[in-house]
Amino acid sequence: MSAGSSSVGATVPQTATTSAHLFEARDVSAHYGRVHALKPTSLHVGRGELVTVLGPNGAGKTTLMRALTRLMPREGSLFFEGRDVSALKTHELARLGIIMVQEGRGLFGQMTVRENLSVGGFTRPHEDEKLETVFTLFPRLKERVDQISSSLSGGEQQMLAIGRALMADPKVLMLDEPSLGLAPKVATEILETLGELNRRGLGILLVEQKAPLALKLARRVYILTLGRVAAELPADQIGSHHDLARYYLN
Amino acid sequence: MLDATQILQSLVNGMGVGLIYGLVGIGFCVIYNASGIVNFAQGVFVMLGGMFTHTLLTRLGIPIILAAAIAIPLVAAAGVVVEFLIVRPMWNRGATLFAIILATLATQIMIERITILTLGDQPRTLNEFTAGGPLRIGGLAISYQIFWILGCGALLVGLLWLFFGRTRTGRALRACSQNREAAALLGVPVGRMLMIAFALSAALGAVAGILVTPTQYTAFNVGTPFGVYGFIAAIIGGFGSAGGALAGGILLGIFQALAIVTLGAGFKNVAALSMLLVVLLVFPNGLFAGLKGLLAGRSRSADAR
Repeated sequence: MSAGSSSVGATVPQTATTSAHLFEARDVSAHYGRVHALKPTSLHVGRGELVTVLGPNGAGKTTLMRALTRLMPREGSLFFEGRDVSALKTHELARLGIIMVQEGRGLFGQMTVRENLSVGGFTRPHEDEKLETVFTLFPRLKERVDQISSSLSGGEQQMLAIGRALMADPKVLMLDEPSLGLAPKVATEILETLGELNRRGLGILLVEQKAPLALKLARRVYILTLGRVAAELPADQIGSHHDLARYYLN
Repeated sequence: MLDATQILQSLVNGMGVGLIYGLVGIGFCVIYNASGIVNFAQGVFVMLGGMFTHTLLTRLGIPIILAAAIAIPLVAAAGVVVEFLIVRPMWNRGATLFAIILATLATQIMIERITILTLGDQPRTLNEFTAGGPLRIGGLAISYQIFWILGCGALLVGLLWLFFGRTRTGRALRACSQNREAAALLGVPVGRMLMIAFALSAALGAVAGILVTPTQYTAFNVGTPFGVYGFIAAIIGGFGSAGGALAGGILLGIFQALAIVTLGAGFKNVAALSMLLVVLLVFPNGLFAGLKGLLAGRSRSADAR
């Protein structure tokens, strides 16, 4: 079942070549060699909406994110602010405001905090203003601004990865397992910051294994199993681990 | 038996030519860092720098500084052409790095042949940028061109440091070298960065070629030895590190000069290759990374005691 066929809430009329959503993927699929790792999958993120993708290990969550940002070849269509952006390359999508924080953070390990943030703002003017915004959100980064990024703690590295993405002025921010490898308290802090960014109007697509944390923030949930969307439902409809397990097993 | 003057003379000469190897080595690193490609056509940029300058000088009769200033962007453009016609199509079609590296080797041979057909096969040289000399200090005789090499080399290293550390494009190039996917996800056009890397390393090669030609000669085939020595300099420095390549080049130049003065000119290549082998055997990640590791290990064991 694709998400497109089990939409929650009012369906927005749309044509085959436009989309009313901020960000929409239609029948996106991807292969690793002969392995069909991601079956045709559709999802969307509305303006100011936080959507989470949950799924067990090996469900295809990272493949989905890589396919959406065209880090790997994919089939299917992608729309952003109503425009078909299927043919755009990774850096062109980023210039539009589709920014992803990779699993493992993807920092430039030999560069300082400031330099990492500066590369984040590569395509954008007013670097200093953006730096201040990031430092207000993550004061610890300001304290370590001249430190080499690989020497930061795991939590600080994740803050830097998110701060660097914010420097790129995202309209939709995609995050692949931002809490991975972090202490529970730090993971909560990071996810709460994402909630704050969402309240300020940022559209977020969050892939997360720590389901309870993600479900507190998200409005809608896509459940991915075996490379396909098994369900799309409002976050408040998932009350317990049992609910999730049911979807994972189905 | 060597006396102090001979040793000092070797150090000065070695440092001059070593700086040239270092510049070629940095050229290797710039492309490698942006793409993972070892560009074996790097040496021809050195050759083209000298050949273009000589051609402009003799055919147009313009001053050498102007000829050099025109030759450098011309060679940088040649670098862009290599990237556009040879590397990018292979890169876009998903060719293996090994295949692309072989293609750069073929490119070197092709450019050498084109040079023979268009500019001839006769060696040629340039006058030293400053007439007169050499400068005599005690028993030392230092060619004025050595000062040009050292001065321009230091200036270039400073400019590269500013470029990579202070400019957006320079930082983006460094970012590409560390994580290409993350850079692309932030809007950095990785393909264009590769083109800039080729232009920059070709320009570096051209400068090296222009600076060194007055001290020896240039011909269609000088690219190979400079390419090899630059490659060795980059490996000694820990492939990918621009500072390491520069220091590796200077060490290599000095070692070669000492080998020539003690064992004879025939041992120039033997010295370079021996140094490469010893460094690779003892410090596979380069001399400086190896020494750093060694020092860190000692300090850890001292702390443990």
